[in-house]
Amino acid sequence: MFRKHPLWGFVLGLVMAAGLVLAGLGTAARAASPKKFKIYLSLSYSGNAWQSEAANIVKALAATPPYDKLVDLKEVISGTDVQAQISAYESMIADGANGIISFPISSSGLDKAIRRGCKAGVLIWVYDGMVTEPCAYSVSYLPSGFGENTAQYLVNLLHGKGNIFLSRGVAGNMVDKRHYDGAMSVFKKYPGIHIVAEYYGMWDDQTTQLETAKALAAHPDVDGIWAQAGEDGALKAVLASGRQKLPKLTGENSNGFRLALANPAYQARGFNGVSSGSPPASAGVAFKLMMEQLVKGRKLPFHNILYPLPWVPANQVKICTGSTFENGCNAFPEGKVPDSFVDEVFNPTLVPELSIASALEGKPTPGATIQPLPPNSYFKQSPNVPGIDCNHCQAPADPYPLTKVTPFNSGT
Amino acid sequence: MKEALMSGPAPHDTRTTGRSLGPEAITPLVLFGLTILLVIASRWISPNLGGFHQVAAIIVLSSFLMVVAFGQQMVVLIGGLDLSVPSLLTLGGILTFGWSTASGWSLIWILLAVLVVNGVIGALSGAGIAWLRIPPFIMTLAMGIIVYSAALGITAGTPRGHPSAALASLFTGRILGLPPIIYLMILFVIAGTALQSYTPFGRKLYALGTSPVAAHVAGLPVGWLTVATYALSAAVAGVAGFLLVGYAGGATLVMGQSYLLPSIAAVVVGGTSILGGRGTYISAVAASLLLTTFSTIISSVQILEGWRTIIYGCVILIAIAALREDLPLWLNRSLQRPSRPPPQAANAQSAQ
Repeated sequence: MFRKHPLWGFVLGLVMAAGLVLAGLGTAARAASPKKFKIYLSLSYSGNAWQSEAANIVKALAATPPYDKLVDLKEVISGTDVQAQISAYESMIADGANGIISFPISSSGLDKAIRRGCKAGVLIWVYDGMVTEPCAYSVSYLPSGFGENTAQYLVNLLHGKGNIFLSRGVAGNMVDKRHYDGAMSVFKKYPGIHIVAEYYGMWDDQTTQLETAKALAAHPDVDGIWAQAGEDGALKAVLASGRQKLPKLTGENSNGFRLALANPAYQARGFNGVSSGSPPASAGVAFKLMMEQLVKGRKLPFHNILYPLPWVPANQVKICTGSTFENGCNAFPEGKVPDSFVDEVFNPTLVPELSIASALEGKPTPGATIQPLPPNSYFKQSPNVPGIDCNHCQAPADPYPLTKVTPFNSGT
Repeated sequence: MKEALMSGPAPHDTRTTGRSLGPEAITPLVLFGLTILLVIASRWISPNLGGFHQVAAIIVLSSFLMVVAFGQQMVVLIGGLDLSVPSLLTLGGILTFGWSTASGWSLIWILLAVLVVNGVIGALSGAGIAWLRIPPFIMTLAMGIIVYSAALGITAGTPRGHPSAALASLFTGRILGLPPIIYLMILFVIAGTALQSYTPFGRKLYALGTSPVAAHVAGLPVGWLTVATYALSAAVAGVAGFLLVGYAGGATLVMGQSYLLPSIAAVVVGGTSILGGRGTYISAVAASLLLTTFSTIISSVQILEGWRTIIYGCVILIAIAALREDLPLWLNRSLQRPSRPPPQAANAQSAQ
């Protein structure tokens, strides 16, 4: 096939010359720019508002000066399969990653891969969820007591008696179990509270709406709904049922829910509740802490950082005029963001660089530069949660202390 | 000549004779009857069940499944399977949600645009199945993944748009005490049944499902019929997405995921043969109502989620076993000769 032809030598020479020139250019380019940190963003699954906001703000922060010159960020989505995330971690470690920032699919299944990464000198940070492997770092609200605090708030609004629904998350998930156990630690103290329906909304507005509509058909006499993420769907089901009196509702941080809490027409129909729960901002905080470790050599006194529980009761909802949380505002006017938008993607102290465009599209805010994080004394260490952030460890004597609300019959 | 052959009553079914009820009439009656029995019996579980409001709520909740089941049933009728339903439903929802604001289009135009976009995608699946001979489940699975991934890439995870008040009023408004969607669904079911049972197109699908070779020999445009069927399935999946945006006031990338298996279950429980050629849309509608009623009742019972799912699975199995195609034949026989046991049974008893 490759018969000798007078032109071959010429072509070969040309290719070699071109290769040399390109190689030279490459070296020159590398020498000109400073060393970039190779960071991987490992996601469980992208497709709901929460996950995409968390991923988008990491991308936006990585593109905000001066990190845009310092970070080479690559994103890997691993579905909902732990095995896929383990193999993603393995290839990131093999590729010489400096850091991995990750939404952990499992709290214990990733331990071996994480340990291997730590040995290879890779900084591994997880957000929202936690892992039992102690060499990983985490920023999470999980032990801050969403379940028990919102349950107590609901009990107080109902004066200790009434029929309630529990709108849970994903069956068999550790996070759902933590929230549920916390809530039940409160509900079981009140014999006047009757749980008449309990269903799984999959942390998704639509599923929650359909399941709530089913429960409403059977139990139109509901007085309150304790919901995990998906609360905006529960609200829509209640509104669509056409009833005049609205049940109390506690849930997470969707913009639609916060606007409803502040809506005087709904309040007149008895609507009340609190918006709390999982903040996507924890992803941004984890990324910034990791970058400060890499760039400034920041030392942290502990690995598991507690993100304070977001807590916005109906009378504290304040609509923002701009495109981020400022002057104490915590919700956006209708139409500016989708109803399913998770408002707690912002935090003026920890991630002031972000705006709506960062959360929805992963774009850096024009003119913003990375602001330093507060000193170590600002951050709190997570308590032990056996099976979630540690193995073979002792949970605190009271695993579900109330931090945001006082019990209804203790004289308040 | 071909037309005459195709437009007669149930030409594919040669087993029923005389004026007895065929399986196509009995299956939906049994399913509707079971649904009514369930609703009445549910009062025993909760006194609030079984009322007027519950029945209305169930019809509203099952409307999305009824719409999706129409397309799935047509596809199963020609011996195929449409696994792209969730992605195309999601696409319909994302387009509806996005277009509601951007240009202030009226709902009819949005619906037409969704029908066209989804129809074209479904036609592509149909073309791959008809002419490239790709197995239907592979072709629709691949198309579903492509559509979903494109939606994920374009929306960056969060579909943007504005809820449409007019669309929402289909569910929140009241005409004669009922949400308007219920009247629309009655029209949809009538139109779907008419298309399937009383048009040459519908009758040709039965012929195609019974035997593609015979249909080809008879001169039917097998390729184009396949393309049209998948286009129709994709288009109605888009309609379901359109309606869900009205119901939920928004679109998410996972909005279609909970409709794949129920759409197949409704079709199969409704007595449509998974091998093609037999079954009616009205039975799939009845099965949608039955499945939704059942899941409504079971979700109001205080049992663990695992048991709920097990019971749900058992009910589907029992329904399919009970609605085997020989059941109507057996019913007919026992109705015609109520007193005498079948001779085989008598023989078996005497042999023992």
